[in-house]
Amino acid sequence: MTLYLYGIIDSSDPIKESLYGLEGAGVYNVSFCDIGAVVSEISQPIQNVTEVAILEHETVIEKLMANFVVLPARFQTIIDGRDNLRSIMQSCYKDFKENLARVRNRLEFGIKVIWPADKVKENIIQTLKEGRPWPAEPDCSANKRFIRGKLETYQINEKFKKKANKFIDAMDIFFSKFAAEKKLKRLKTENLLLDAVYLVEKNKESDFRDAFEHIKSAHEGFKFLFSGPWPPYNFVILPKKNDLLKESEKKDLFDKVIQHREPVGAREIWQ
Amino acid sequence: MAINSVVETDFPEEFVEEIEKSQDILPRKIDANPKNVEKGLAKLVLTLIELIRKLLEKQAMRRVEAGSLSDEQIENVGETLMKLENKMEELKEIFGLKDEELNLNLGPLGNLM
Amino acid sequence: MNSVMVKSKDVTLLEILDRVLDKGVVISGDLVISVADVDLIYLGLKVLLSSVETMEKLRGAPFAGPMQEAN
Repeated sequence: MTLYLYGIIDSSDPIKESLYGLEGAGVYNVSFCDIGAVVSEISQPIQNVTEVAILEHETVIEKLMANFVVLPARFQTIIDGRDNLRSIMQSCYKDFKENLARVRNRLEFGIKVIWPADKVKENIIQTLKEGRPWPAEPDCSANKRFIRGKLETYQINEKFKKKANKFIDAMDIFFSKFAAEKKLKRLKTENLLLDAVYLVEKNKESDFRDAFEHIKSAHEGFKFLFSGPWPPYNFVILPKKNDLLKESEKKDLFDKVIQHREPVGAREIWQ
Repeated sequence: MAINSVVETDFPEEFVEEIEKSQDILPRKIDANPKNVEKGLAKLVLTLIELIRKLLEKQAMRRVEAGSLSDEQIENVGETLMKLENKMEELKEIFGLKDEELNLNLGPLGNLM
Repeated sequence: MNSVMVKSKDVTLLEILDRVLDKGVVISGDLVISVADVDLIYLGLKVLLSSVETMEKLRGAPFAGPMQEAN
Protein backbone atom coordinates (compact mmCIF):
# COMPACT_ATOMS: atom_id res chain seq x y z
CA MET A 1 0.00 0.00 0.00
CA THR A 2 1.65 3.17 -1.12
CA LEU A 3 0.91 6.22 0.92
CA TYR A 4 1.07 9.85 -0.06
CA LEU A 5 2.15 11.98 2.89
CA TYR A 6 0.63 15.42 3.46
CA GLY A 7 2.12 16.21 6.81
CA ILE A 8 2.61 15.41 10.48
CA ILE A 9 0.02 16.54 13.01
CA ASP A 10 0.03 16.83 16.75
CA SER A 11 -2.79 14.36 17.28
CA SER A 12 -3.50 10.65 17.20
CA ASP A 13 -7.21 11.23 16.66
CA PRO A 14 -8.92 10.33 13.41
CA ILE A 15 -9.77 13.18 11.11
CA LYS A 16 -13.41 14.07 11.64
CA GLU A 17 -14.29 15.83 8.41
CA SER A 18 -14.22 14.08 5.06
CA LEU A 19 -11.05 15.17 3.37
CA TYR A 20 -9.99 14.22 -0.11
CA GLY A 21 -6.56 14.60 -1.62
CA LEU A 22 -4.71 13.44 -4.70
CA GLU A 23 -6.51 11.04 -7.00
CA GLY A 24 -9.61 11.94 -5.01
CA ALA A 25 -8.55 9.52 -2.32
CA GLY A 26 -9.70 9.84 1.25
CA VAL A 27 -7.26 11.46 3.63
CA TYR A 28 -6.77 9.88 7.03
CA ASN A 29 -4.52 10.00 10.05
CA VAL A 30 -2.11 7.20 10.89
CA SER A 31 -1.39 7.64 14.55
CA PHE A 32 1.89 7.04 16.29
CA CYS A 33 1.91 7.69 20.01
CA ASP A 34 0.49 11.18 20.43
CA ILE A 35 1.15 12.38 16.89
CA GLY A 36 0.07 11.25 13.45
CA ALA A 37 0.99 11.11 9.80
CA VAL A 38 -1.76 12.31 7.50
CA VAL A 39 -1.84 10.27 4.32
CA SER A 40 -3.96 9.04 1.47
CA GLU A 41 -3.47 6.00 -0.67
CA ILE A 42 -2.00 6.57 -4.08
CA SER A 43 -1.80 4.18 -6.98
CA GLN A 44 1.36 5.44 -8.59
CA PRO A 45 3.88 8.25 -8.30
CA ILE A 46 2.65 11.40 -9.91
CA GLN A 47 3.76 11.59 -13.49
CA ASN A 48 3.08 15.22 -14.12
CA VAL A 49 3.41 17.98 -11.63
CA THR A 50 0.35 19.99 -12.44
CA GLU A 51 -1.10 23.03 -10.84
CA VAL A 52 -4.06 20.90 -9.79
CA ALA A 53 -1.93 18.38 -7.93
CA ILE A 54 -0.01 21.12 -6.16
CA LEU A 55 -3.22 22.81 -5.08
CA GLU A 56 -4.74 19.52 -3.92
CA HIS A 57 -1.70 18.97 -1.76
CA GLU A 58 -1.76 22.47 -0.35
CA THR A 59 -5.52 22.44 0.24
CA VAL A 60 -5.38 19.33 2.40
CA ILE A 61 -2.65 20.84 4.53
CA GLU A 62 -4.46 24.11 4.99
CA LYS A 63 -7.67 22.32 5.94
CA LEU A 64 -5.75 20.34 8.54
CA MET A 65 -4.40 23.57 9.97
CA ALA A 66 -7.89 24.57 10.99
CA ASN A 67 -7.89 21.86 13.64
CA PHE A 68 -4.33 20.73 14.19
CA VAL A 69 -0.75 21.87 14.36
CA VAL A 70 0.75 20.71 11.06
CA LEU A 71 4.26 20.10 9.78
CA PRO A 72 3.66 20.20 6.02
CA ALA A 73 5.39 17.55 3.96
CA ARG A 74 7.21 18.22 0.74
CA PHE A 75 5.20 17.60 -2.37
CA GLN A 76 5.13 14.02 -3.51
CA THR A 77 6.55 12.24 -0.51
CA ILE A 78 5.37 8.73 -1.12
CA ILE A 79 6.01 5.98 1.36
CA ASP A 80 6.12 2.29 0.64
CA GLY A 81 3.73 0.76 3.10
CA ARG A 82 2.59 1.12 6.68
CA ASP A 83 5.60 -0.62 8.17
CA ASN A 84 7.96 1.85 6.61
CA LEU A 85 5.75 4.71 7.67
CA ARG A 86 5.97 3.45 11.22
CA SER A 87 9.76 3.23 10.88
CA ILE A 88 9.90 6.84 9.83
CA MET A 89 7.65 7.95 12.67
CA GLN A 90 9.75 6.03 15.14
CA SER A 91 12.96 7.44 13.82
CA CYS A 92 11.75 11.03 13.63
CA TYR A 93 9.39 11.11 16.60
CA LYS A 94 11.53 13.39 18.72
CA ASP A 95 12.24 15.76 15.85
CA PHE A 96 8.58 15.90 14.90
CA LYS A 97 7.56 16.63 18.48
CA GLU A 98 10.11 19.42 18.76
CA ASN A 99 8.99 21.00 15.51
CA LEU A 100 5.31 20.71 16.39
CA ALA A 101 5.97 22.50 19.66
CA ARG A 102 7.92 25.22 17.89
CA VAL A 103 5.31 26.03 15.29
CA ARG A 104 2.26 25.67 17.52
CA ASN A 105 -0.04 28.70 17.21
CA ARG A 106 2.24 30.29 14.66
CA LEU A 107 1.81 31.15 11.02
CA GLU A 108 4.31 31.73 8.24
CA PHE A 109 4.21 34.95 6.24
CA GLY A 110 6.34 35.97 3.30
CA ILE A 111 7.48 39.50 2.51
CA LYS A 112 9.32 40.46 -0.64
CA VAL A 113 10.60 43.93 -1.44
CA ILE A 114 11.77 45.38 -4.75
CA TRP A 115 13.73 48.59 -4.43
CA PRO A 116 14.72 51.17 -7.09
CA ALA A 117 18.22 49.74 -7.57
CA ASP A 118 18.99 51.95 -10.56
CA LYS A 119 18.19 55.13 -8.67
CA VAL A 120 20.22 54.01 -5.70
CA LYS A 121 23.20 53.34 -7.95
CA GLU A 122 22.81 56.69 -9.66
CA ASN A 123 22.88 58.45 -6.31
CA ILE A 124 25.96 56.54 -5.26
CA ILE A 125 27.78 57.35 -8.50
CA GLN A 126 26.86 61.00 -8.05
CA THR A 127 28.21 61.06 -4.49
CA LEU A 128 31.41 59.33 -5.51
CA LYS A 129 31.97 61.77 -8.34
CA GLU A 130 31.72 64.65 -5.95
CA GLY A 131 34.22 63.26 -3.49
CA ARG A 132 36.83 61.98 -5.87
CA PRO A 133 39.51 60.08 -3.92
CA TRP A 134 41.39 59.08 -7.03
CA PRO A 135 43.43 61.94 -8.46
CA ALA A 136 42.97 62.14 -12.21
CA GLU A 137 46.37 61.91 -13.81
CA PRO A 138 46.80 63.43 -17.24
CA ASP A 139 48.76 60.58 -18.78
CA CYS A 140 47.44 57.46 -17.10
CA SER A 141 48.72 54.12 -18.28
CA ALA A 142 46.32 51.54 -19.58
CA ASN A 143 46.95 49.43 -16.50
CA LYS A 144 46.15 52.30 -14.17
CA ARG A 145 43.01 53.13 -16.10
CA PHE A 146 41.95 49.52 -15.79
CA ILE A 147 42.49 49.62 -12.06
CA ARG A 148 40.62 52.86 -11.73
CA GLY A 149 37.65 51.41 -13.57
CA LYS A 150 37.65 48.33 -11.37
CA LEU A 151 37.99 50.43 -8.25
CA GLU A 152 34.98 52.54 -9.15
CA THR A 153 32.88 49.46 -9.75
CA TYR A 154 34.08 47.97 -6.49
CA GLN A 155 33.28 51.10 -4.51
CA ILE A 156 29.86 51.45 -6.07
CA ASN A 157 29.03 47.83 -5.23
CA GLU A 158 30.23 48.14 -1.66
CA LYS A 159 28.13 51.21 -1.06
CA PHE A 160 25.21 49.56 -2.81
CA LYS A 161 25.34 46.60 -0.46
CA LYS A 162 25.72 48.84 2.56
CA LYS A 163 22.67 50.84 1.56
CA ALA A 164 20.69 47.66 1.00
CA ASN A 165 21.54 46.31 4.44
CA LYS A 166 20.57 49.61 6.02
CA PHE A 167 17.10 49.42 4.51
CA ILE A 168 16.70 45.72 5.23
CA ASP A 169 17.71 46.04 8.87
CA ALA A 170 15.35 48.97 9.38
CA MET A 171 12.43 46.97 7.97
CA ASP A 172 13.38 43.82 9.77
CA ILE A 173 13.33 45.54 13.15
CA PHE A 174 9.67 46.33 12.62
CA PHE A 175 8.64 42.89 11.43
CA SER A 176 10.70 40.98 13.96
CA LYS A 177 8.78 42.49 16.83
CA PHE A 178 5.91 40.12 16.16
CA ALA A 179 7.81 37.14 14.86
CA ALA A 180 9.20 34.19 16.75
CA GLU A 181 11.56 33.24 13.93
CA LYS A 182 12.64 34.59 10.58
CA LYS A 183 14.70 33.83 7.51
CA LEU A 184 16.04 36.65 5.36
CA LYS A 185 17.55 36.55 1.90
CA ARG A 186 19.27 39.85 1.12
CA LEU A 187 19.70 41.19 -2.42
CA LYS A 188 18.73 37.99 -4.15
CA THR A 189 18.93 40.03 -7.32
CA GLU A 190 19.93 43.67 -7.62
CA ASN A 191 16.29 44.68 -7.58
CA LEU A 192 14.98 42.13 -5.10
CA LEU A 193 16.14 43.81 -1.94
CA LEU A 194 14.56 41.36 0.44
CA ASP A 195 12.99 37.93 0.35
CA ALA A 196 11.93 37.12 3.88
CA VAL A 197 9.75 34.67 5.75
CA TYR A 198 8.53 35.26 9.28
CA LEU A 199 6.98 32.86 11.77
CA VAL A 200 4.35 34.98 13.48
CA GLU A 201 2.27 34.25 16.57
CA LYS A 202 -1.37 33.79 15.58
CA ASN A 203 -2.55 36.43 18.02
CA LYS A 204 -0.04 38.91 16.63
CA GLU A 205 -1.13 38.54 13.01
CA SER A 206 -2.91 41.87 12.79
CA ASP A 207 -0.02 43.67 14.47
CA PHE A 208 2.29 42.11 11.93
CA ARG A 209 0.06 43.19 9.05
CA ASP A 210 -0.07 46.70 10.47
CA ALA A 211 3.71 46.78 10.67
CA PHE A 212 3.84 45.77 7.03
CA GLU A 213 1.42 48.51 5.98
CA HIS A 214 3.44 51.01 7.96
CA ILE A 215 6.69 50.06 6.27
CA LYS A 216 4.99 50.03 2.90
CA SER A 217 3.70 53.57 3.27
CA ALA A 218 7.07 54.75 4.55
CA HIS A 219 8.92 53.59 1.44
CA GLU A 220 7.78 55.37 -1.66
CA GLY A 221 9.23 53.98 -4.83
CA PHE A 222 9.59 50.54 -3.30
CA LYS A 223 7.42 47.61 -4.33
CA PHE A 224 6.05 45.18 -1.79
CA LEU A 225 4.64 41.69 -1.79
CA PHE A 226 2.89 40.09 1.18
CA SER A 227 1.92 36.44 1.21
CA GLY A 228 0.36 34.12 3.70
CA PRO A 229 -0.67 32.80 6.02
CA TRP A 230 1.19 29.66 5.04
CA PRO A 231 1.78 26.35 6.73
CA PRO A 232 5.25 26.57 8.30
CA TYR A 233 7.18 25.15 5.32
CA ASN A 234 10.24 27.27 5.95
CA PHE A 235 10.44 26.59 9.63
CA VAL A 236 10.57 22.83 9.78
CA ILE A 237 14.02 21.84 10.93
CA LEU A 238 14.94 18.23 10.50
CA PRO A 239 18.47 16.95 10.89
CA LYS A 240 19.81 15.04 7.91
CA LYS A 241 18.91 11.51 8.85
CA ASN A 242 20.35 8.81 6.73
CA ASP A 243 19.49 5.88 8.85
CA LEU A 244 15.95 5.24 7.75
CA LEU A 245 16.31 1.60 6.86
CA LYS A 246 13.56 -0.72 5.84
CA GLU A 247 12.38 -3.17 8.49
CA SER A 248 13.54 -6.11 6.37
CA GLU A 249 16.93 -4.51 5.85
CA LYS A 250 17.30 -3.89 9.54
CA LYS A 251 16.76 -7.57 10.16
CA ASP A 252 19.34 -8.57 7.53
CA LEU A 253 21.85 -6.17 8.99
CA PHE A 254 21.20 -7.48 12.47
CA ASP A 255 21.71 -11.04 11.29
CA LYS A 256 24.95 -10.07 9.59
CA VAL A 257 26.29 -8.51 12.74
CA ILE A 258 25.37 -11.53 14.83
CA GLN A 259 26.94 -13.87 12.31
CA HIS A 260 30.25 -12.11 11.93
CA ARG A 261 30.36 -10.59 15.37
CA GLU A 262 32.00 -7.52 13.99
CA PRO A 263 30.64 -4.05 13.45
CA VAL A 264 29.19 -3.36 10.07
CA GLY A 265 30.91 -0.41 8.50
CA ALA A 266 28.94 2.64 7.51
CA ARG A 267 29.75 1.95 3.88
CA GLU A 268 28.17 -1.46 4.02
CA ILE A 269 24.96 -0.08 5.39
CA TRP A 270 24.66 2.04 2.34
CA GLN A 271 25.41 -0.58 -0.28
CA MET B 1 -10.80 23.58 -3.90
CA ALA B 2 -9.48 26.79 -2.51
CA ILE B 3 -6.53 27.70 -0.44
CA ASN B 4 -6.53 30.32 2.26
CA SER B 5 -3.11 31.68 1.59
CA VAL B 6 -3.22 34.85 -0.40
CA VAL B 7 -0.51 36.72 -2.21
CA GLU B 8 -1.01 40.47 -2.08
CA THR B 9 0.93 42.81 -4.28
CA ASP B 10 0.35 45.71 -6.63
CA PHE B 11 3.19 44.54 -8.85
CA PRO B 12 2.80 40.84 -9.65
CA GLU B 13 4.73 40.89 -12.92
CA GLU B 14 7.72 42.65 -11.44
CA PHE B 15 7.97 40.09 -8.67
CA VAL B 16 7.60 37.17 -11.06
CA GLU B 17 10.43 38.65 -13.11
CA GLU B 18 12.74 38.96 -10.11
CA ILE B 19 11.87 35.51 -8.81
CA GLU B 20 12.66 34.08 -12.23
CA LYS B 21 15.96 35.91 -12.33
CA SER B 22 16.99 34.63 -8.95
CA GLN B 23 16.43 31.10 -10.22
CA ASP B 24 15.98 29.65 -6.80
CA ILE B 25 15.07 26.28 -8.14
CA LEU B 26 18.12 24.18 -8.77
CA PRO B 27 18.10 22.16 -11.93
CA ARG B 28 18.39 18.66 -10.60
CA LYS B 29 18.82 16.62 -13.69
CA ILE B 30 22.33 15.49 -14.36
CA ASP B 31 22.96 15.61 -18.04
CA ALA B 32 25.01 12.57 -19.03
CA ASN B 33 24.81 13.27 -22.74
CA PRO B 34 28.45 13.02 -23.92
CA LYS B 35 28.07 16.04 -26.16
CA ASN B 36 27.13 18.17 -23.18
CA VAL B 37 29.44 16.63 -20.61
CA GLU B 38 32.40 18.61 -21.93
CA LYS B 39 30.50 21.83 -21.79
CA GLY B 40 29.25 20.95 -18.31
CA LEU B 41 32.76 20.36 -17.09
CA ALA B 42 34.02 23.53 -18.72
CA LYS B 43 31.23 25.43 -17.01
CA LEU B 44 32.19 24.05 -13.63
CA VAL B 45 35.90 24.71 -14.03
CA LEU B 46 35.41 28.20 -15.42
CA THR B 47 32.95 29.03 -12.66
CA LEU B 48 35.55 28.20 -10.07
CA ILE B 49 38.23 30.14 -11.91
CA GLU B 50 35.89 33.11 -12.18
CA LEU B 51 35.28 32.93 -8.45
CA ILE B 52 38.97 33.02 -7.69
CA ARG B 53 39.57 35.78 -10.20
CA LYS B 54 36.80 37.91 -8.71
CA LEU B 55 38.11 37.33 -5.22
CA LEU B 56 41.58 38.41 -6.33
CA GLU B 57 40.14 41.51 -7.92
CA LYS B 58 38.23 42.35 -4.77
CA GLN B 59 41.32 41.88 -2.62
CA ALA B 60 43.30 44.10 -4.95
CA MET B 61 40.65 46.82 -4.83
CA ARG B 62 40.66 46.78 -1.06
CA ARG B 63 44.39 47.36 -1.04
CA VAL B 64 44.26 50.05 -3.70
CA GLU B 65 41.55 51.82 -1.75
CA ALA B 66 43.55 51.54 1.46
CA GLY B 67 46.50 53.09 -0.36
CA SER B 68 48.83 50.26 0.62
CA LEU B 69 50.19 49.68 -2.86
CA SER B 70 53.05 51.53 -4.47
CA ASP B 71 52.73 53.07 -7.89
CA GLU B 72 54.68 50.24 -9.45
CA GLN B 73 52.59 47.63 -7.68
CA ILE B 74 49.41 49.25 -8.95
CA GLU B 75 50.78 49.07 -12.47
CA ASN B 76 51.62 45.39 -12.09
CA VAL B 77 48.34 44.46 -10.49
CA GLY B 78 46.51 46.35 -13.23
CA GLU B 79 48.38 44.48 -15.92
CA THR B 80 47.80 41.10 -14.29
CA LEU B 81 44.11 41.64 -13.69
CA MET B 82 43.64 42.86 -17.23
CA LYS B 83 45.36 39.80 -18.65
CA LEU B 84 43.27 37.49 -16.44
CA GLU B 85 40.09 39.17 -17.53
CA ASN B 86 40.98 38.94 -21.20
CA LYS B 87 41.91 35.29 -20.83
CA MET B 88 38.58 34.53 -19.20
CA GLU B 89 36.74 36.28 -22.02
CA GLU B 90 38.63 34.11 -24.48
CA LEU B 91 37.77 30.91 -22.65
CA LYS B 92 34.15 31.91 -22.29
CA GLU B 93 33.98 32.47 -26.03
CA ILE B 94 35.65 29.17 -26.85
CA PHE B 95 33.12 27.23 -24.78
CA GLY B 96 30.21 29.42 -25.71
CA LEU B 97 29.45 30.37 -22.13
CA LYS B 98 27.85 33.55 -20.91
CA ASP B 99 28.50 35.36 -17.63
CA GLU B 100 25.15 34.34 -16.16
CA GLU B 101 25.95 30.69 -16.76
CA LEU B 102 29.06 30.84 -14.65
CA ASN B 103 27.38 30.83 -11.32
CA LEU B 104 26.43 28.16 -8.86
CA ASN B 105 23.20 28.14 -6.91
CA LEU B 106 24.00 26.88 -3.46
CA GLY B 107 20.38 26.58 -2.36
CA PRO B 108 19.92 28.21 1.02
CA LEU B 109 23.31 29.87 0.75
CA GLY B 110 22.25 31.78 -2.30
CA ASN B 111 24.40 32.12 -5.36
CA LEU B 112 28.15 31.63 -5.30
CA MET B 113 28.78 35.03 -6.82
CA MET C 1 -5.05 51.21 4.82
CA ASN C 2 -5.71 47.95 3.03
CA SER C 3 -3.60 47.20 0.01
CA VAL C 4 -5.21 46.25 -3.24
CA MET C 5 -5.40 42.50 -3.40
CA VAL C 6 -4.26 41.35 -6.77
CA LYS C 7 -4.48 37.61 -6.98
CA SER C 8 -2.15 37.10 -9.84
CA LYS C 9 -2.09 33.48 -10.78
CA ASP C 10 1.57 33.32 -11.65
CA VAL C 11 2.99 34.91 -8.56
CA THR C 12 0.73 32.86 -6.29
CA LEU C 13 1.76 29.68 -8.01
CA LEU C 14 5.41 30.61 -7.66
CA GLU C 15 4.98 31.25 -3.95
CA ILE C 16 3.31 27.88 -3.47
CA LEU C 17 5.85 26.04 -5.59
CA ASP C 18 8.75 27.58 -3.73
CA ARG C 19 7.40 26.12 -0.52
CA VAL C 20 5.91 22.87 -1.61
CA LEU C 21 8.64 21.54 -3.86
CA ASP C 22 11.55 21.88 -1.56
CA LYS C 23 10.57 22.64 2.00
CA GLY C 24 8.60 21.32 4.91
CA VAL C 25 9.10 17.79 6.08
CA VAL C 26 11.61 16.40 3.63
CA ILE C 27 12.05 12.71 4.10
CA SER C 28 14.54 10.92 1.99
CA GLY C 29 16.11 7.53 1.98
CA ASP C 30 15.13 4.03 1.09
CA LEU C 31 11.74 4.22 2.70
CA VAL C 32 10.54 6.83 0.26
CA ILE C 33 9.60 5.47 -3.11
CA SER C 34 9.71 8.63 -5.07
CA VAL C 35 10.44 12.23 -4.54
CA ALA C 36 9.42 15.00 -6.85
CA ASP C 37 12.37 15.75 -9.04
CA VAL C 38 11.09 18.67 -10.94
CA ASP C 39 12.72 20.86 -13.48
CA LEU C 40 11.05 24.20 -13.64
CA ILE C 41 11.52 25.88 -16.93
CA TYR C 42 10.80 29.55 -16.94
CA LEU C 43 9.39 30.81 -20.18
CA GLY C 44 8.95 34.52 -19.88
CA LEU C 45 6.28 35.07 -17.28
CA LYS C 46 4.94 31.58 -17.54
CA VAL C 47 6.10 28.74 -15.41
CA LEU C 48 6.16 25.57 -17.37
CA LEU C 49 6.24 22.45 -15.30
CA SER C 50 8.00 19.57 -16.92
CA SER C 51 7.01 16.06 -16.19
CA VAL C 52 8.25 14.54 -13.02
CA GLU C 53 11.06 12.12 -13.20
CA THR C 54 10.63 9.81 -10.34
CA MET C 55 13.91 9.10 -8.71
CA GLU C 56 14.58 5.42 -8.57
CA LYS C 57 15.49 4.14 -5.18
CA LEU C 58 19.16 4.04 -4.48
CA ARG C 59 19.22 0.33 -4.67
CA GLY C 60 16.97 -2.41 -5.81
CA ALA C 61 14.17 -2.36 -8.28
CA PRO C 62 12.35 0.73 -9.37
CA PHE C 63 8.84 1.21 -8.09
CA ALA C 64 7.56 -2.30 -7.88
CA GLY C 65 4.37 -3.63 -6.48
CA PRO C 66 1.09 -5.21 -7.35
CA MET C 67 0.29 -2.31 -9.64
CA GLN C 68 3.24 -2.95 -11.84
CA GLU C 69 2.61 -6.64 -12.10
CA ALA C 70 -0.89 -5.92 -13.22
CA ASN C 71 0.59 -3.94 -16.11
